Amino acid sequence: MRALGPFWIAILLLPPVLALTVLPPFGQRMVVLVGIYALMGLGYQLVFGQLGALNLAQGALFGVGAYAAALAAPALGWLALSVAIVAAAVPAAIAAGPILRLQSHYFALATLALASIVNLVAIHAEAVTGGANGVSGFASALPRGSVLLAIVWACLVMGVLAYSRLFGGRLGEEARLVREAPLVAATLGIDGGRWRVAAFIAGGSLAGLSGAFAAALNGVVSPDVTGFPVMVLCLTSVVVGGSRHPMGAVLGAVLAVCLPELLRDFQGAWLLVYAAATLAVVLWAPGGLAEGIDRLRGAPLPVRPEPAVPERLLPAAGPQRLVLADVAKRFGGVEALSDVSLAIERGEIVGLIGPNGSGKTTLLNVICGLDRADSGTIKLDTAHLERLPPHAIARHGLGRSFQSNMLPGDTRSAGLARAISTHAAFLLLDEPAAGATDREREQLASLLRRLRDAGRGVVIVDHDIDLLARVCDRLICLDRGKVIAVGRPADVRANPDVRASFLGLEEAVA
Amino acid sequence: MAYALVALGFVLALNAAGAVNFAHGDLVVLGGAVAVLAGQMTGLPAPLLLPLVALVLAVAGIIAARISILPLVSRPPEATFVATIALAAIVEQGLTFGLGAAPRTAPALAGSGSFEIAGFALGRQPMAIVAIGGVLVAAVWFLLERTQTGRRMRAVSADRYMARAVGIPVGRYIMLSLALAGALAGIAGLLLGHQFLVAPTQGAGHMLKAYIAVALGGWGSVPGALLGALGIGFFETFGSVWLGDAWASAALYAGVLVVLAFRPQGLFGEPVGRRA
Repeated sequence: MRALGPFWIAILLLPPVLALTVLPPFGQRMVVLVGIYALMGLGYQLVFGQLGALNLAQGALFGVGAYAAALAAPALGWLALSVAIVAAAVPAAIAAGPILRLQSHYFALATLALASIVNLVAIHAEAVTGGANGVSGFASALPRGSVLLAIVWACLVMGVLAYSRLFGGRLGEEARLVREAPLVAATLGIDGGRWRVAAFIAGGSLAGLSGAFAAALNGVVSPDVTGFPVMVLCLTSVVVGGSRHPMGAVLGAVLAVCLPELLRDFQGAWLLVYAAATLAVVLWAPGGLAEGIDRLRGAPLPVRPEPAVPERLLPAAGPQRLVLADVAKRFGGVEALSDVSLAIERGEIVGLIGPNGSGKTTLLNVICGLDRADSGTIKLDTAHLERLPPHAIARHGLGRSFQSNMLPGDTRSAGLARAISTHAAFLLLDEPAAGATDREREQLASLLRRLRDAGRGVVIVDHDIDLLARVCDRLICLDRGKVIAVGRPADVRANPDVRASFLGLEEAVA
Repeated sequence: MAYALVALGFVLALNAAGAVNFAHGDLVVLGGAVAVLAGQMTGLPAPLLLPLVALVLAVAGIIAARISILPLVSRPPEATFVATIALAAIVEQGLTFGLGAAPRTAPALAGSGSFEIAGFALGRQPMAIVAIGGVLVAAVWFLLERTQTGRRMRAVSADRYMARAVGIPVGRYIMLSLALAGALAGIAGLLLGHQFLVAPTQGAGHMLKAYIAVALGGWGSVPGALLGALGIGFFETFGSVWLGDAWASAALYAGVLVVLAFRPQGLFGEPVGRRA
């Protein structure tokens, strides 16, 4: 994704300009409505589009904003708009902590339950919300007419531009990692949890603001604004428009407002058409209408730069030693690691070898925090890592690459390049040579030497023992979770235990 | 007991598709609507309508699978969520369009009236619901646990790739599961339709209750879903006596949030490595 071109900016500015110059009052009202839905949808894109989490509470937060504005307006006037933002952001912030840890299906359920509670309160807490009759008589305290139109669209235009700017660059790439490969994101030092909380609160605030605008437009707030249909409308319009494209929410809102007018003779049919369109988009055009238009215009597809190893490896700041002492890890009855102790210096390449299932990858996972050690200590200089989450460990200067490609469309070296680009002092590389050609292995070997020259400490797991023997300063051999040999490559290869456990097959053949 | 049927169908579809079927509640309503229409047109008594409704809804389940589940099996579960939400909206709007929004009554299963056992007055209809529900639950249990077909269905839900690798036609078994889920939904719709009437907008409520039952009972667990559904039934019955209908529901949802906050893996946990 990149910044919006003149084409989209023109489209974005067209409705408000038309509304203020030529459209009759009825058309103006529709344009305001488009702006309101688009604003809610823009907030929804943050959580649903960027993080890929199915949030079903956005409609309810919209309703909370509407009620808050309606109730606060008589006393506070225009300030009620900010009250609405806070009123929607606070429940989002409170719920965010526990809810966002949940897996996808529980997340959807939790947000749905939250929304249902809001809806029930709106209907039945008559003392506050006026029950089914709703709240009215506040409209004169809020902006109206063309003033409302100008404010709504000013917010929307700013929102869309900010969104496209933010997600056009580094932040967009971070969001993609958090969404598609949370483990990689964590080992690159990206705090996925904070990301989600921020997106959820920002999205909720936008929902609250748009709800307040809706209250101002309608002059009455009834429990309907908290209902599930609002949520479905928001979800479908974002999906149809494009769940990540900066203009997706706007296009979806235009359709959601115009279709019912076009199909007015068929009463409920527009929702039917809309739902069918949503289904079609999910099945055949996951990018939505906005990306489809980009393709028709022949706009160059956003080029995602292939992560590449930096030309020059600068000396990295940070810790000087990685030290493990008596690290143990059990999975049920299996002792994956038992009392592993080792120390790695900067400027040293250590190869980790051992038969399948000997605990090599587990050891890397425990060091970088993806698995928790049951006992023992792991330290970078004096900083203990055992209890830190992966992203915090990464920020202490420890990088990690994974065995298999974790992201669709990545080449083999992309993960490696990403890990190196963090300028981590220590790198854990899991089978970077798996499936590589001879030439790629040579490139890998020279890359490892460059890393050593740049003063990085490297732990590398691989099955290509010849490659490791050539580049590594030391080899460590694991067998059933225990270190059975450490030392210079030639010595370790000659070690009888190593030959028996790991190279045994070779010997049998020989 | 009718909730149990809804939840049972929901969990079957869930296991087969690997994702929540948001249209399940609307299949229940569709079942009620088919019962209403068929009852009016044919004048058949309800016990004969039952298999008819089940058959129609089984076909609806297959259609749902073909449209919104099978094409998306290789995509993240959110894609299926959205597709089935759209499908739910289509069913709901289609019903509103075709039938009107006013609630209708589905034909009674066993006539009205009640009889007494040991001093308790028991309605005929609730008794019939319990009896049919019990028989169907037992039948599904037998199918899943004691037949080759059921074993394959469980294999598909446990590990789709492995199932394919050992030669099970996965797509066909997903459709079979959805057909079964649809049939159960249809019967539940007929059973609920007499007591609580049939209105197009009820679907979301049915779906939410089944969803909660499954989440509390243990994700993907068939007995867990049944327990969860019965628990919800009891909670609603007694909760509404103390708190009134609306607040009982609110308490239920709040309870769900609390449970999820403290036990993110559901009340009874879920098999390791299984996700929707």
